[in-house]
Parts: sequence; C-alpha cells; structure tokens
Amino acid sequence: MVSPRVIRNLKKGFRNSLLPKVGLLLVVVIVLVAVFAPLLAPHDPTAQNLNQTELPPLGFTKTVNETTAQLVDGEVQTVTNVTTIEAKLSHPLGTDGLGRDMLSRVIYGARTSLLVGVLGTVLAVVVGVPVGLVAGYKGGTVDDALMRVADVSLAFPSLVLAVALIGLWGRATVAIPDPFVAAGLASGMPGSATLPITVVVVVGLVNWVWFARVARGEALSLRQQEYVKAARALGAGDTRIIGRHVLPNAITPIIVLGTVQIAAIILLESALSFLGFSGTTLSWGFDISQGQDYVSSGQWWIATMPGIAIMLSVIGINLVGDWLRDALDPDIEGEGGT
Amino acid sequence: MSREAGAKRQPPAGVDTLLSVQGLSTRFFTEEGQVNAVESVSFDVRENEILGIVGESGSGKSVTALSLIDLVESPGRVTAGEVWYRDPDLAEEYRGDDSVAVDGDHIDLRTVSGRVRRGLRGPSFSMIFQDPMSSFNPSLTVGEQIAEAVEVQRRARANPRSTRSRTQGYGFGRFFLDTLVPGRGYVTEPSTERAVELLEQVGIPDPAERAEEYPSQFSGGMLQRAMIAQALAGEPDLLVADEPTTALDVTIQAQILNLLRDIQTDRGMSIVLITHDLGVIARMCDRVCVMYAGEVVERGSLDDVFDNPVHPYTQGLLGSIPDLQDPQPRLQPIEGNVPSLVDEEMGDRCYFADRCPKAMEACLEEPAERDAAGGSEHRAKCVLTDREYAPSEALPADYFEDRGDRDA
Repeated sequence: MVSPRVIRNLKKGFRNSLLPKVGLLLVVVIVLVAVFAPLLAPHDPTAQNLNQTELPPLGFTKTVNETTAQLVDGEVQTVTNVTTIEAKLSHPLGTDGLGRDMLSRVIYGARTSLLVGVLGTVLAVVVGVPVGLVAGYKGGTVDDALMRVADVSLAFPSLVLAVALIGLWGRATVAIPDPFVAAGLASGMPGSATLPITVVVVVGLVNWVWFARVARGEALSLRQQEYVKAARALGAGDTRIIGRHVLPNAITPIIVLGTVQIAAIILLESALSFLGFSGTTLSWGFDISQGQDYVSSGQWWIATMPGIAIMLSVIGINLVGDWLRDALDPDIEGEGGT
Repeated sequence: MSREAGAKRQPPAGVDTLLSVQGLSTRFFTEEGQVNAVESVSFDVRENEILGIVGESGSGKSVTALSLIDLVESPGRVTAGEVWYRDPDLAEEYRGDDSVAVDGDHIDLRTVSGRVRRGLRGPSFSMIFQDPMSSFNPSLTVGEQIAEAVEVQRRARANPRSTRSRTQGYGFGRFFLDTLVPGRGYVTEPSTERAVELLEQVGIPDPAERAEEYPSQFSGGMLQRAMIAQALAGEPDLLVADEPTTALDVTIQAQILNLLRDIQTDRGMSIVLITHDLGVIARMCDRVCVMYAGEVVERGSLDDVFDNPVHPYTQGLLGSIPDLQDPQPRLQPIEGNVPSLVDEEMGDRCYFADRCPKAMEACLEEPAERDAAGGSEHRAKCVLTDREYAPSEALPADYFEDRGDRDA
C-alpha cells in the first residue's frame, strides 16, 4: 500500500516545494492546539466577564462615543465623551460581546472543528467506500440501484439536507471528558468538550456519496484486472476479493479524497454552527454568527478571528491533501508535484 | 441465426470422461447487438490427458474456457449447453433432485446452483491466465497470494460440499480487522508453508525467500510458475490454461510447457490448453479442437487433425506455419479476418465460407458435424468430410463481396 516509491515521492515533494511545508506546519499546529487546548488557552473560553466586553485585539484600539444629555441653563445639551479602550495583554485576540476571551475560544473551537471533521470523514468513508466497492464490483442491477441512491443524495444541496436532517433528529450532543482537566493539569477549564453528534452524522451522510463514487470507479476498473479473475478462478468469494484484492488497490484515491473532505466538512460544520444547528457553543462557526452583529458597529474581531482559524485550517489540510495526491499518483513519478 | 441445439440431454458415454461439454453457447448482449462468442461447442476431456483448443484471436477460445468454469462476466451469459462433470459425491447428492441432471457419476453443472459451481472452482477446476504480470495483485506478496488460495481450499475441505464455508469466517468483521490492523493477515502458518512447498514444486529457487517478494520483483517466467503453483493449491482435477505461454519469451515458454507436462503426469490431472500456437499443440496435446467463429470446426486426435486435416481452415492454419524440413518459398496465410460475431450479421451458412478457398454452393447451408477419415473421434463441420471439392459448384470469387455491398 505504502510503497517505497510513495515515500520517496513524499520526501521529494516536501523538499522541492514550499506548499507542503506550509500545509504540514498548519495542520500540525492546529492538531497540537486542539489536543492541548486546556494547557494553551489563557482563560476559560466560556467564562464571561461583563466588565471587559468587546476588548480589541492587541495592536488595535477601540473608540467608544458616549453621548450623554445634560440640562444646562434650562436647555438640553448633548455631550459626547470619546473614550479610547486599549487592548489588554491578557486578551491578545480581544473579547467578545460577553467578555469571553477570543484566543481561548479560537483554541477550543479547533477541537470541535477537528473532531467533527475527522469523525464525519470516517463516517463518510465507512458508509461510502463499502457501498462504492460493492456497486463497482458487482455491477449491473446492484450498481444501478446503489448509484441511483447516491445520485439522489448528491442532487440535494448538502446544506439543505443537513438542516433537514437536524430538524428531524434534533441537536444531540455527547460530552467528552477532558483528560487534562481530569488529571488536574488544567484547573479552571471546562471539564468536558461537547461533541455535536448530530452534526457528525449529518456531515457523514452528506459526504458519503463522494467516497462511494470514487470507490466505485476504482472497483470498476480493478474488477477487470486479471488477478481478480484469477482469484475467482481459484474459488475465492466476493467479500474476500473485495477486501483483499480490490480495496487495497483502491485506497490511494480514497486517502486523497479523505484529506480534502476533512476540510470540506470543517466548512460545513462551521456553516451549520453559524446557522445555529450545532448544539455546541464552542465552535468557530458559532462565534462567527455571534460576531456578525458586531461587525457593523466596528467590533470586527469577534467574527474575524474564528474566520481566520477556519481559513488557515482548511488551507493547511488542502495543501497536505495536494501533497499526498501528487506523491500517490502513479503518473507523477519523481516530479516536484506542484 | 442461432444454432443452439434443441434441449436433448447427451450424457457422456465413457467412464473415463472427466468433463463432457455438449452444445455450449455463450452470448454477449452488447449495445451493438447479440454477439455469439461461443456457438454450440461440444468436446470431451478425458482423465489424464491434455486437450488442446486452437484458433485465431477472436475465435472464442478464451470465452469457452471461462464458460467452463462459469466466469463469464456480464454482459455475457452462457445461454445453452451442458457441462457434464464426473464427481461421484456430487452426483450422489443430487441424484434424487429433479432439477439437476445426473447420469451415473456425471452431473450436469449447468443445472446446479451457482454456489455449487463456485465451490468446484479450486478443488475441481482451476485456471491459469495469459499474462502472469497482471494476474497477481501488486499489493500482496506472491507467497501470501498462493497461501490464500491454499487457505480457501483448506476451509472448503474442512466443511465439504458446503460452499458457504468459503465465506464463513471471512465476513465483514474480519475484513475490517484485516484492513485496519497491519500485519494481521488472512493466511495461517500451515498455508504459508504449503505455499512455499508449492513454489518449490514448480521449480522456483529459494522458495521461502521468493514467497516474501512482491509480484513486481518476479520475472515473467517466474510469475507464470507462481501462478501454476497457485492453481495447484486446490489440487484440481482439471486445469484450464488460457494461453499460458503467449506472454513469455521462447526459452521460458519451453520451460513452462515442460513444467505443465510434468505436473500433469505426476498428478494425473487433465489440462485444457488454449493457444493459438500450433507448435505448442503439437508438442503437448493428446487431442485437439480447432475453433473458428465460436464453433469447433474440427476435432480429433492430434495425429488425425495434424496429418489429415479435413476442414480448409485447419489446412490453412497448418499451411501458415513454417516447416524447416520442407521450406516453401512463401507461407500461405489464410486470407481475410475472423468474421464479426454479431448475431444479425452472421448468415446461416458455414462461417468460414467467405475466406474458404474451396467454398461451394453447399457451403451456404449450415454444415453439420460429420465423421471424418481417421480415428473414430475425428469429426469436422465441413461438407468436404464426405465429398470432394467440385470446382464446377464453386462460388464465384467475389460472391461475398457483392453480398456485402448489397447488405450495406
């Protein structure tokens, strides 16, 4: 599966081009941040501090116009006091409308995004790949039936389908205890992370079709291979042929698609959180939707900081995906791959 | 224009007949129309013999082989015929069953379920393919793949006659585990040892080390040996070899043919050897079938067919190989190409008539299979078996060209 040639191509692609380095760096940083969130976050991301709402990020100031009406000599006069609010070192990315630390929220948001992205992709693979392999290998009526189901779910706009499914099932969540807090390493942090399980299921079911189509295409060409015919001539059954002879040779495009899909699912999760369907309030998408009310009044950072986080993680994952694709593609032998 | 015979059961006569194929037809239902790839083919395979099937590309040799072991893929289908196979146990099991045709020790495999037929692949029939390079999975070691074949048969034997045993113990649970946990293979230690033994038997040096290597590290000849080892894993009664030497160079060809001969003698099994190479046939086979346009046009013992060919096609084939003892200035090729096998384009005549140098008016009717001179088994589908070529009745040279223009 992972041949020496692939490893050689991976190394070569990494050496010859800047993009894989950037991508890998971003992905590693985001994964580390998500894993060690309780140790890295300066504040409890859910703790409100109403004395310090809407603090600007470092390097910026916020001006507040306070207009008061006074009665001077029997006339009403309006006096405008302009106060400038400085950024505080303790809140490097500022605070949101309830005084919660943006940096801590962005750090914790990485957990939700990565969990949903990875679990959603795993679910999509587990559903889509077997369906695609069986459809492609069996062909005929089985293929037609399975692929029409796939076409139908592809015809739905994915966000509409997701919203419909969440409306149907409600917003179920699972609390995952935080090992660092449990071990007493991070006091004052939330004791558990909330995994929006409905969102995971929904993004998995929205995206399985892509894996089914790719797996089917591979199975279609692999079943024509002589070694599949030879295995059948020796009396091997369908399950074994699919598992031993088709899947291992179809795994390359599935891996590449998987990396791209993680990024797509992170975006979809953000969109769902933005629309308020997520069930967790610690999510990049949720923070963007909270922050959009403040953008017009000048507090741009509440929506922008999680937005930048989404952008960087999606770019990073896609760059890694491109790198893998170029290295695993048998047509690109030894080329730099950009 | 189908020539499928009526449903008349013809159980094999001889006790030593391992396999008797009667009126086997395979059709492909493509978008261009129905293609009659195999047309009412009949032949016998005896115990302990090598039967050759020879013909040009596109004459239906390979499809015949695939039809035998029920591996014809959609859109193809075996539409008619009987495949009588000698298996006393299986025959006994189905003797009382009305839907299954049984005669003595023979059972018609076209009447049993697909499951039973699949169960026979491996322990009863096995097949080796033309191109060894593409017949091995590039992502598994050669040893693993042979051991896998051993394992399949071992499981089948542990629970005989239940074809379900092959999938039992390898459901989706195992499949996921095998896929997710590295180093967790399907094959067991005894199977791996047996695989090494098999590799040794087919003459691979350092079999234990070679078993660890991937197909890309083998040469073509070595892989063909490995494929023979894999085919022998189930100890089959009948080995179907589909052009086993075509992809190999000449010196390796000779080695592989000798190996097949030795294995056939040692194990007393039968081989159906499919090839377009008459030299291979002459060297290996006891009896031979000549195929043209999906039909067996001439069959008989090697001597009968090679020394007294009746069908002009067989004569043409033999005339197109060089003879070192009697070098002719030019070889005589058969003019033209194998005809299209699309059903509606095939007339109700002898399919070879348009290329035949001796085409006569009688050839415009469907030829019956007749006894020819020589041994009792020498039969040919040609009017010339029992009459002489009469130039007065010959078709004009441009007869088929004109027809072609008119049809178009």
